Amino acid sequence: MKKTLALLLTLVLILGLLAGCGSSGSSPAPASSETPAASEPPASPAAPETPAASEAPAASESPAAPAESETPAASESPAAPSEEPEPAGVNTVILKEADDKMINTYTLLAVNPDAPFVDADGNPVSDVAVNTAGAEALIDWFLSAEGKKLAADYGQAEYGDSLFYLLDGAPVYEGEITPATDETGTIRLSTTTSVNDSGLLGALLPVFESEYGYKVEIQSAGTGKAIAAAKYGNADLILVHSKSQEETFVADGFATVLPGFESERLSFLYNYFVLCGPADDPAGVKDCASVLDAFAAIADGKYPFISRGDGSGTHTKELSLWPEALGITAEADSFADYTDWYVSANAGMGSCLVMAEQMGAYILTDKATFLTFQANNGVM
Amino acid sequence: MQTALQKAIELILSGDRELANILLVTARTCVSSSLISLLIGVPIGIWLGTGRFRGRQALVVIFRTLMGMPPVVCGLLMYMLFSGVGPFRRFKLLFTVTIMIIAQVVLITPLVIANLETYVSSVADTVRETARGLGFGRWKTLLLLSNECIYPIFSTYLLAFARSIAEVGAVSMVGGAIAWKTNVMTTAIMLYTNRGDFTLGIALGIILIAISLLVNIAVTVMQRRLSR
Repeated sequence: MKKTLALLLTLVLILGLLAGCGSSGSSPAPASSETPAASEPPASPAAPETPAASEAPAASESPAAPAESETPAASESPAAPSEEPEPAGVNTVILKEADDKMINTYTLLAVNPDAPFVDADGNPVSDVAVNTAGAEALIDWFLSAEGKKLAADYGQAEYGDSLFYLLDGAPVYEGEITPATDETGTIRLSTTTSVNDSGLLGALLPVFESEYGYKVEIQSAGTGKAIAAAKYGNADLILVHSKSQEETFVADGFATVLPGFESERLSFLYNYFVLCGPADDPAGVKDCASVLDAFAAIADGKYPFISRGDGSGTHTKELSLWPEALGITAEADSFADYTDWYVSANAGMGSCLVMAEQMGAYILTDKATFLTFQANNGVM
Repeated sequence: MQTALQKAIELILSGDRELANILLVTARTCVSSSLISLLIGVPIGIWLGTGRFRGRQALVVIFRTLMGMPPVVCGLLMYMLFSGVGPFRRFKLLFTVTIMIIAQVVLITPLVIANLETYVSSVADTVRETARGLGFGRWKTLLLLSNECIYPIFSTYLLAFARSIAEVGAVSMVGGAIAWKTNVMTTAIMLYTNRGDFTLGIALGIILIAISLLVNIAVTVMQRRLSR
């Protein structure tokens, strides 16, 4: 009796293992199918990228003042991507960009040490440790001539195009930057994935750290989570890109006005969200007059669309672009009827891009992450 | 897969400083958390396995239930407790290796307890009878029992280590996956996956399993030697 039981158990285990191997064996397949492309050094995608360099001056001139009046920029840029030869391996291309509706502004906010913090049960908490001096130094540096120049130049060498542009009329800091002391040495920066995944912070922060002796700890998550971390007293400053969420954050009293600045929200960088999709563009997005029409066309034809679905800045922006009649919001109920084409991925930008590439779907992404994705031949 | 394997080997050979740091943090976290939970869990497991008192079964059931605690829930709990607004804020532990170890100990200890309790309760009666036959006192009986337990303790340690090195939910929650500080193998794999770099993710996965293999070989050899 015992022997048969043992035998049965072993059989079940072996079967389970086999089943497990079978399913896990199929999942890495997409990765391995990409191997020929991945084994090539990124030198080859860099070459087709060069036409973008010639377009760069135009792009960086026209959006200099990203005001509503900037319609010519919108009409000239959508044509540009079509000239761009497609790098091998990536079928997802930029279909719509530089639309006024798609400006993506990055904002710095220092956390107010005397904010109305509450614990998980809603009881007020007063002695939350926030390193305001450190946050101030980092923000001062970001807004100094040096920080701005480094940020604006980032990406030129690698992608032939700046990934971020300086906002016209961004706040300026010209004073001294306080070096680190023992108490202010560690700065907790809570930020959105795009500035970290695109490599911007990795390029900028070491300069700041070595110059002023600070140590910056970056937690990168979607804007929603980045703001939540600050509300729980786990960040000294945030760098995010969702105006509505930032305004709520300020209105709730969680941000502070730093000496020498006029507002809590210090917007200084911007780039564009871009609408990407399969190169053959079945929804005809390229010919749409505006990005709103493009989103309407996708919804009309029920073409697959990947949504971040994670409360990030990109997600918030995407939600604002759908035709109002659809009623798509962050709530799962709101798109329950559209699941045949609307995919709420709840994942980072990179994973979503890979998903869009695999499914031939449309996707809204920040341009910086897309260029990184493209330069790496779709595997990043 | 082949590229991933190549990349894994390249990564190791290149002596990448960030990888070295990630490995170091991973080792610190896993070894500490698995050893601490062993230190806490083994005595409790033996006590539960041999004890005859009211509520013993209830305790066993509780620990068995805690084995199924989702890591991310454990992480969330620790995050709330040690947050800037949480009750333990003055320890300033959030986003440190220490809090990662604490979270993993909370996660793994029930596993050690339940696992050991199962074994001990199955041999306790035999050991007791043998000890009575040999005329052993309480203390000697406990020694005899502990001697019997050496083999399962090693397997339990491996279980704890495996859970700890493979775990991502809790450490990413309380550690924040901060580069050069709290980024471990699993959170690094998550980061690369989120960026869409699947190949590098798999490469790190291969390295992780290789380390796991080495530890398992070492512990198994020790187990054979010591319990012979």
